[in-house]
Amino acid sequence: MSDGAVQNLLPPPVLLPHRQDRHTTWIDRVESVAMALPARLEARRRLWRLTRVRDRVLARAPDFDRLSDAELSARIARIRDTLRSCGLQGAALVDAFAAIREQSTRTLELRHFPCQILGALVLLDGQVTEMDTGEGKTLTATLAAGAAAMAGLPTHVVTVNDYLAARDAETLSPLYRALGLTVGIIRTGLSPAQRRGAYAADITYASNAELAFDYLRDRLALGREAGNLRLKVERLARRGSLRGEVVMRGLHFAIVDEADSVLVDEARTPLIIATETDPTHERTWAERALTLADGLEAPADYIVHRDRRTVELTPAGRACLADAAEDLGGLWESSIRREESVRQALSARHLFHSGEHYILRDSKVQIVDEYTGRVLEDRSWNGGLHQLIEVKEGVEVTGRKHAVIRTSYQRFFRRYGRLAGMTGTAREVAGELRAVYRLNVLRVAPNRPSQRQQLPARYFATLVEKHAAIAARAAEMAGAGRPVLIGTRSVAASETLSTVLTQVGVPHDVLNAESEAEEAAIIAAAGTAGRVIVATNMAGRGVDISLGPGVEALGGLHVILSERHDARRIDRQLAGRTGRQGQRGSFEAMLSAQDPLLSSSREGGPFSAAMHRIGMKLHPAGAFGRAQRRAERMHGQMRKDLLKMDEMTGSMLSFTGDRE
Amino acid sequence: MSGKSFYSDEWHRVSGLRLRLKSNAGIHRQEFRGQLWYVLQDRTSGRSHRFSPEAWLVISLLDGRRTVQEIWDTACARLGDDALSQNEIMRLLAQLHHADVLQGDVMPDVDEMLHRAGKQERKKRMMSFINPLAIRMPLLDPDAFLAATLPLVRPLIGRAGGLLFVGLMGYALVQLGLYWSELTEDVADRVLAADNLVLLIVTYPLVKALHELGHGYTIKRWGGEVHEIGIMMLVFMPVPYVDASDASRFPEKWRRIIVGAAGMIVELTLAALALIVWIHAEEGMARAVAFNVMLLAGVSTILFNGNPLLRFDGYYVLADLIEIPNLAQRANRYIGYLIQRYAFGIETVESPVTARGEPKWLFSYAIAAFAYRLFIVSIIFFFVVDIFPLIGAVLAVWSLIMMFGVPIAKQIWFLLTSPKLRHRRGRAFAVTSGMIGTIAAVLSLVPLPYATLAEGVVWTPHEATVHTAAAGHVEAVYVTSNDQVQAGTTLLKLSDPVLDRQVAALEARVRELAQRADAVAFDAPAEARVLRERLAKAEADLDNARERQEDLAVRSSVPGRFVLPSSDAGDLDGRYYDKGERFGYIADFSDPVLIVVVPEKRADLVRSDTQAVAFRFADDPRTAWPAQILREVPRITDELPTAALAQIGGGTLSLDPSQPEALRSLTRVLQLELVFEQPNHVVTLGGRVHVRFRHADRPLAQRAWRALRQLFLSELNV
Repeated sequence: MSDGAVQNLLPPPVLLPHRQDRHTTWIDRVESVAMALPARLEARRRLWRLTRVRDRVLARAPDFDRLSDAELSARIARIRDTLRSCGLQGAALVDAFAAIREQSTRTLELRHFPCQILGALVLLDGQVTEMDTGEGKTLTATLAAGAAAMAGLPTHVVTVNDYLAARDAETLSPLYRALGLTVGIIRTGLSPAQRRGAYAADITYASNAELAFDYLRDRLALGREAGNLRLKVERLARRGSLRGEVVMRGLHFAIVDEADSVLVDEARTPLIIATETDPTHERTWAERALTLADGLEAPADYIVHRDRRTVELTPAGRACLADAAEDLGGLWESSIRREESVRQALSARHLFHSGEHYILRDSKVQIVDEYTGRVLEDRSWNGGLHQLIEVKEGVEVTGRKHAVIRTSYQRFFRRYGRLAGMTGTAREVAGELRAVYRLNVLRVAPNRPSQRQQLPARYFATLVEKHAAIAARAAEMAGAGRPVLIGTRSVAASETLSTVLTQVGVPHDVLNAESEAEEAAIIAAAGTAGRVIVATNMAGRGVDISLGPGVEALGGLHVILSERHDARRIDRQLAGRTGRQGQRGSFEAMLSAQDPLLSSSREGGPFSAAMHRIGMKLHPAGAFGRAQRRAERMHGQMRKDLLKMDEMTGSMLSFTGDRE
Repeated sequence: MSGKSFYSDEWHRVSGLRLRLKSNAGIHRQEFRGQLWYVLQDRTSGRSHRFSPEAWLVISLLDGRRTVQEIWDTACARLGDDALSQNEIMRLLAQLHHADVLQGDVMPDVDEMLHRAGKQERKKRMMSFINPLAIRMPLLDPDAFLAATLPLVRPLIGRAGGLLFVGLMGYALVQLGLYWSELTEDVADRVLAADNLVLLIVTYPLVKALHELGHGYTIKRWGGEVHEIGIMMLVFMPVPYVDASDASRFPEKWRRIIVGAAGMIVELTLAALALIVWIHAEEGMARAVAFNVMLLAGVSTILFNGNPLLRFDGYYVLADLIEIPNLAQRANRYIGYLIQRYAFGIETVESPVTARGEPKWLFSYAIAAFAYRLFIVSIIFFFVVDIFPLIGAVLAVWSLIMMFGVPIAKQIWFLLTSPKLRHRRGRAFAVTSGMIGTIAAVLSLVPLPYATLAEGVVWTPHEATVHTAAAGHVEAVYVTSNDQVQAGTTLLKLSDPVLDRQVAALEARVRELAQRADAVAFDAPAEARVLRERLAKAEADLDNARERQEDLAVRSSVPGRFVLPSSDAGDLDGRYYDKGERFGYIADFSDPVLIVVVPEKRADLVRSDTQAVAFRFADDPRTAWPAQILREVPRITDELPTAALAQIGGGTLSLDPSQPEALRSLTRVLQLELVFEQPNHVVTLGGRVHVRFRHADRPLAQRAWRALRQLFLSELNV
C-alpha cells in the first residue's frame, strides 16, 4: 500500500500540523534558572535509561544477522506495522533499531556502533545528542529517521546546506529503500511540484533555509485563514490537495544536524520573502544618501560603534545634514527619514566590508554568512543597506525588498511537533537550547578515544609575523608529508593568507565562498599527503576529510587555526576536522595581538587599553578567552532580545491574525 | 540604535490590512495645556488613551476601505516631519485593538486574545492580593436609577446650585467661627465614646453614599454614563465608590473638575446643614447625629477626599486643574526618566513629558506624594504598634516591602535585564550601588547623636520633716522658708493657754503640797508621808507639763535649710497645729538629688553608656542643667518613688489600674539617683524634671537593630 493511499484512507486528524507558538511566561524564566541543576541530573537518568534500551538493541543483533535478505525484508515490513499501530516504543522500537542496523550492515556495509545507537535513541527522545566530531552523526540519524518514518511520522533531516543534504540522502538512500521507505531531497531550484514530491516522501533531506522558506511560502499561499477546520472543509469541497500550491505536510519531526549552528548561531538570521521596488528609484536614493554621508566627518558628525555594529549621528552631524538636504525635497525633508538613510549609508561605508561581510560575484553583492563562511544566495540586507552597498561597490542596483512574510529559525523550529538535534559542540549553548527549544543536551561518549593532539597555541605581536609563521609551519608539515588545513575567519583573511603562502612558495588550495563550485573536489583531495588548504568556516561543520593512504602513519591531518572565532564552538568544530573516529591528527592555534577578535577590547578608554596590553603580555590565552566569551555572551543576548522582540510584536500584532 | 527608526521589519504584517473603528468607539477631542489631544475610552478596562493629533489623523483614516499602507502614505504626505513611524503606527493599532475598538477584514488571533485576557485577569487578582487595603467589589449598575431621578437634582447642578453652595458655605463658616470652641471641646472623648461610635458607623455609609451619588448625578447631568457602583474595602473599612471614568470624555475641563469635586461638594453641604441643625437643635439624638455628620462630612472630606496626594477626588480634581492626566503615574515615570537619562546616561529614554510646564508638576508631585505616603504609613504603623506591637511590626514590614521592596526589586530586575541599559549597565550599576552605598553608609556608619529621655523628681537624701511635738496655736515664727538653720535652732513658738494654766496650777499645787507637808511634818508624820507622795506626783506632773510647754517651741533637729510647704506660707499667724503635725522640712540642700525612672528597655543603655546627663524642670523647660548619676537602685522594679511620675501626677507612666494606691507602674523601670550642681535654684521639692541621658553617637541602623531585637525578644522570645 503506497503512502498516498494510506493518506487518502485515513486523513490525518490535523492537516498541516505544527505546534502552536508558546508564550514565554515568568514561570519559564524561573524554571530555566531553577531547573539548571535538576535538568542535568534528569539528563543523566534519561541517558542511563536509553543505555538500557541500547543494550537491548545490541542483544537483538544475533537474531537478525541470521536472517536471509528476504526474511529480513519480511521482518522489516512486520516491524513497520507494529510501529504504526503501537508507536515508537518498547520491543517494536528495539526491533526496528536492530533491523535497521542489520540492514545497514548489508546495504551500506556500515554497522552502527553502540554509541551511534545511543545517539539515535536520544534523537527519538526529542533531545540533542552531543557526539564528538567525526563520530558518524550522519549514520546515527538513519536509525532515528528510519524508525520514525517506519512508524509513519514524516521526518525531516535538516542539514546546514544543500550539498550535505544531497550527499547524505544519496549515500543513505539504499538503506532507506531497503527499509521500504522513500527519501526526498530538497535542493535550490526545484519546482513546487518536485518539492511536493520530496516532502511527500517518508524522509526528506533538506537544508534549514530551504525548509524554512518552503514553510513560509506555504503559509503565504494559505493566506491569513489557515485553521485546521477551514482547510478540512475546503478539502471536502474540492477533493484534492490543500490549496494547490502548498508543498509541505506539516511539521512533524525534525532531526537537525549541527543543531548548535542551525538552532543557535543562525537563530538571528531573518527569513524573509519579499517583493521588490523600482531599482532606478533606489539608485538615486542610495547615491544621494552616500553623497550626504560622505559630507560628514568622524568623530565630529558621527561615531561608529564597531562592537555594536551601529552608527550614531551627533547633533552637529544632524545639523550639518539638515543644511545639506535643505533643498533636496521629497523624503529628504523629513529629518527622520533623512537621518535614517544617512545612518545606513555610513554603516555601508564603515561597518560592511567586501570579503568579510559580502563578496562580489557576477557583479552582484552576495552576503557571506559570518558563521559558515558561505554565500547566502538571494539574501539581501533590508532597510536600503543592500542598495547602498551596491552603489558603494559600483555594481548594478537592485530593487529594495519589502517583506511579505518573515520568520526566524527560532520561531520556525519551535513549531515542530518533535524536534531533535545532533552536534559535536553543544555544551556551551545547552542552557539556551533548553530555554528556547526545550531541548536537553545529552552527551554520548565516543566509540574510540580521540587521538587528536592539541598543540599549545602560539602568539605573535603582529599579523604579518603570524602569517609568516603560519606559512612556515604549513610548509614544514607539508614537507613531512602531512596534509594541512588552515582555518580563517573571513574570505578576505583566506585571500591574504593565500598570497603569503604563494610568496613563500607553498602550493595550496583556497576554499571559500568564491570557490564554492570546486568545494567537493577540494575536500575530496584535502586528505592526501602534503596537501595545504586555506579555508573559511566552510571547512568547518560537516566536512569529512578522509585521509589519503599512508597519511595516518605520518601523523594525520594537521589543522592550524589562524584566528579565534566569536564562539569557542566554531574553533572546536575546526579542530574536529582532524582526529576523526580515533585517527591520529593534530591541531594548533596561531594568533596575533592584532586579531580582530581583540579589537573590541582594544577600544574603550586608555585605562582598559593599557590593561589589555599588560594582559596580552602576561597571559595571552586569557585575553583571547575573555574576548571570545564576551562575544559569545553578546551574541547570546542578541538572540534572547530577538526572541523577546518577536514575542512582543507577535502579541502586539495579534489583531493581524496568525499567519507567520 | 540612536534615533528612532522610520521603518519596521514587521510592517508587512499590517500594511495590507483594511481596518476600521467600531461604531461604539468613544473618542473625544480635548485640550491639555494648550495642546490638542484625542481621548479614547476603553470601556472594557476602564482606561482612557490619549492620542496626539498626528495619531488621530491616522485613526480617522481607518475606514475599512483603505489599507494601512495607504493610510501611512497619506499621513506621511500630509504631516511630513511629524508623521508617525511604522513602528508607531503598529503600536497605535495595537492600542486600538486592545481597547477593543478595531474591526478588520481578518480573524484576529483568538489564542492571543485569550492569553491577553487571562493575563489581565491574573493581574487584577494579583493587585487585590498585593494591596489588601483596597479591594473593589462592584455591586450594581445605577445608570437607570440616576437617569430617572436626575430631574430631581438637576436644578442644583449649575449656576443656581453653585451660588446656593457658596452662600451656604459662607454662612456655615461664620457659624463655625462662632461655635468653634464649643464644637472642639474634648472632641476626641466625645467621638470615641462607645454610643457615639455606633452612631458613626450608621451615618458613615449614608454620607459616603450621598457623596458617590453626587459624582453620579453630575456625570449624568452632562450626558455621561455611570455603569458601576460598588464597595471598596479601604483599610478594611467599606467605602462606596462609583465608576466615574466616563467623565474623562467631557471636553470641558471645568465639567470634569466639577464631577471630581461633586462628592466633596455634597459632603460639605451636608456638613453645613448639619452645623445648622446642631446649633438649633436641643440636646438629644438629632444633635448627636448632626455632630457626627459634620465630623464625617467636613473633616474626612478635607483630610482624605480633598487631599490630592492620595488617589481620591482631590487628585483627579488637581490633575484636571493643571491639565496633566494620569498625573501620579506619569510623575513616577518622570522620576524614573530623570534617573535613567541623567544618572544612567541613557540618551534614548523617552520622557513622559508631553507639554511645557509639566516637568515641575510631575517632579514635585512625585516627591510630595511619596513623602506623604511615607508619613501616612508611619503614622498607621506607630498607631498600630502602640496597640498590637507584633501586628504593627508585620504591617510595617509589609508596607516597607510594598513601598520600597517591590520597587527596588523591580529596579534590580531592570538593572540586570533591561535591554535599554545595554552598554550602560556598568554606569547604572555604579550609580545605583553608589547611591545605595551612600545611604547604607549613612545609616550604618555615620554616628548620630543618641539619647534616652526619662522623667524624674527632685528629692533630698537627708531630709527631715519638722513635726510639732505638741499641739498649739502659732505664737511666733523665728525663721522663713529657705533659711539656713542649725541643730537646735528654734523655728517656731506655739502657744497653748491650757497648758500654761495647767503649769501654773501645778506649780501652785506643788507649792501648796510642799507647804502642807512641811506644816504637818512633825505633827502627823503619817499624813506628811502621804502628802510627800502626792507632792512627788504633782512635781512629776509639773515636769511633764513644763516639758510639754517646752515642746511648744519647735526646734530643728538637724542643720539644713528650712523649707515651709508652699501651701502654708503666709498663713501661719495664730494657726493651730495638732500634736505631731508636719510643719516644714529641714533639708540638706547642699546635696539634693533627682530620682529618675528609666524604662526597662533603655536601662542597660543608660547604665552602660551614658556620656552626659542634663535635665530641665518641667515648670521651666528653657534651661538645661547638667547632672551626674549618683547611684542606681540595683533592681528593676515596677514601684514608683512618687506619684509625680505617674500619669495621675502629670508624668508619663501608666499605673497598674488594679492597685491604684500602690504606685505600681505598668511597665518596669530602673530607678536612678542623680546629683546636680547649683542646688540653690531648686525651690520646690518633688518638682518634675525631664532628664536626657546622652549616649555615645550611634548609627541609625544599629539602633533600629537594637529596637527590633528587643521587640522580637519580648513578643516572640526569639
